Amino acid sequence: MKHTSSRRAFCISTAILSLAASVPALSGLAQAADETIKLGIVAPMSGPNARYGAFSMHGAELAVKDINAAGGVDGRKIELFNADSQGTPVEGVSATRRLIDEDEVDYIIGDVSSSVTLAMQPVAEDAGVLFLNAASSNPKITYGAGVGGYKWTFRNYPTDENRAFVVAKYAAEQRGFSKFAVLSVDSDYGRSAIEFTKKYLPEFKGEILSEDYYKEGEVDFRSVLAKIRDNGAQAVIMYGLADTTPIVARQMVEIGLAGKVTLIGNGEFNTEKTIKSAPTALEGAVEAAAWLPAFDSPESKAFVEKFTSEYDEAPNNHAYVHWDTVNLLAKAIHEAGSPDREKVRDALSRIKYKSPVGEVTFDDHNQARLPMILLQIENGKPSVKGAYTADIQYPAE
Amino acid sequence: MFSTILEQIVNGIVTGSVYAIVAVGMTMIFGVLRAINFAHGEYYMLGTFGAWFSIDYLGLSYEASIVVGVLSTIVIAYVVGKLVMQRMVGAPAESGVLATLGIALVLQNTVILVFGGGYKFFADGYIEPVSILGFSLAQQRILILVVCLLVFVGLELMVTYSRMGKSMRAVSQNVDCCEVVGIDVPQVVLRTFILGAALAALSGVLTAPVNVSVYGGMGELITFKTLPIIIMGGLGNVRGTFFAAMILGVAESLVATYVGLQFRDTVGFATLILMLMWRPHGLFSTQARF
Repeated sequence: MKHTSSRRAFCISTAILSLAASVPALSGLAQAADETIKLGIVAPMSGPNARYGAFSMHGAELAVKDINAAGGVDGRKIELFNADSQGTPVEGVSATRRLIDEDEVDYIIGDVSSSVTLAMQPVAEDAGVLFLNAASSNPKITYGAGVGGYKWTFRNYPTDENRAFVVAKYAAEQRGFSKFAVLSVDSDYGRSAIEFTKKYLPEFKGEILSEDYYKEGEVDFRSVLAKIRDNGAQAVIMYGLADTTPIVARQMVEIGLAGKVTLIGNGEFNTEKTIKSAPTALEGAVEAAAWLPAFDSPESKAFVEKFTSEYDEAPNNHAYVHWDTVNLLAKAIHEAGSPDREKVRDALSRIKYKSPVGEVTFDDHNQARLPMILLQIENGKPSVKGAYTADIQYPAE
Repeated sequence: MFSTILEQIVNGIVTGSVYAIVAVGMTMIFGVLRAINFAHGEYYMLGTFGAWFSIDYLGLSYEASIVVGVLSTIVIAYVVGKLVMQRMVGAPAESGVLATLGIALVLQNTVILVFGGGYKFFADGYIEPVSILGFSLAQQRILILVVCLLVFVGLELMVTYSRMGKSMRAVSQNVDCCEVVGIDVPQVVLRTFILGAALAALSGVLTAPVNVSVYGGMGELITFKTLPIIIMGGLGNVRGTFFAAMILGVAESLVATYVGLQFRDTVGFATLILMLMWRPHGLFSTQARF
């Protein structure tokens, strides 16, 4: 008897539960009519890359604020959701799942780290959520997008291939370097940038004398810097993390490398704070970046001014690209005429978007055609040496 | 060639000094509590944050910031010691693991909540390079080395001659007998814990100028570097810890130079595995102390 009654209780409670579950689903449908545009940002909000994440969020928030203040996209406001990737693929994937399953976003912008972005791609693809990358430079991301596979991934950021080429060419032709040492971060970004540097260096008669990669959070570079001092390299090719640059620069001063060996590559060599940490070590440093505050265009200057007045600090590259990518998405939704993901995706692939660094269009791998900006530190200030665009040679299938 | 090796050995000894000051606190706490303090690196972090805060927000000098960093850590360690560590006397080993891991999470995330997760820039200290033995070294590194030696001489003397040192050794040998002869075990535990945390904080403040960046998660790595050291040194063994730290520091430095920087952290973990396989009681004792 007892058995039967508990079974009955189970049936009834199941019935009640499923009724209860269907109510919010119904109200969810009702809400969809005056829908907002739900946009998720996956970024490293904690961990070694937290500074990148904070800049990314500020950039996105600024764009959303301006768009919403101007009445939204065709009357629809953008609602921003944030999820922390901690800069690791595992956390990045669960952050992406959270945005898709719990916040039910239609669009995701993320991550800064290439390793995380590569891991997020299949998740976004399975869910059919439009995934825009704004700040990862590993070429594989768009090798595998568009006609390469992932239909929902787009990248509004130049790749390492372009960057490695531009830096190698400038270092060899303009600065006359031929002996290089590698000191890059041990990640998909750092390693692939070096891979492409190796592809192009022979063209410029450059050779690599030593090759080291550091783990995120590494603080002691004395051993490697001493080795570089002794092997006679003229420049250190560093595709590193912004937070590590001051440590390396300081230890270059300590070990007597400042002024003798030049840093080239990428890792926010050009911010005021970094230069201040070790001015002698960074003098003459060469960096290729997607954007920098000193970039000379009226829209870019206006962004720097607005960002600085809003957050009391100058924006970095990540703030800019996230700000720009939110605006790009808004334009795509406007051109699609509805926030329907599929229509927006089609609109993106056809878009001609005027960004502060030039017109943006996407190729058949959903990769934006964007220039790399080359700069050199002169008298403690970044000076822009030119912007270079190169079409990407995709590997044959 | 020879001068390069010499330079790397000196680098390694400086790194080893940093590890040694942190590790000795951890090994002493193990001695009295029979529990690995997984939150030990967090006191290193707290000391550094205290110093950074007093320089950036209060405008104090670096010398004063050392005092602030260590004192603020002592206050926090007192609270943690009273609330958590004292209760671990006689508790099963797993409760110690759980409690200290929990404390690590709380301390780390509180700092991230209050100061944000980004890297802070530690701008002060004696970073001017000086030239010795044909290579240059920041003055700060010489300071670290000197302080490390002083700390270990002081600890040796304390453990051998002072009442607190003797009672620490007594507690590490037999808790029940201590209670019989009237040694206040919880108090010895509390004092040892505070001493260990203060040393970790001191190590953090001394290292900050050369490591430049200060962030919430910086203690974790130190905890994991410290583990192989205290096992190599023989758990609870002060002198052994010193030599073990130097061995690890020099080995890391040589590996970073001649094998590759990316393999640096491998050294500690490989050592840990090898030690646990062949000499779990440490390099310097013939049999397990515990």
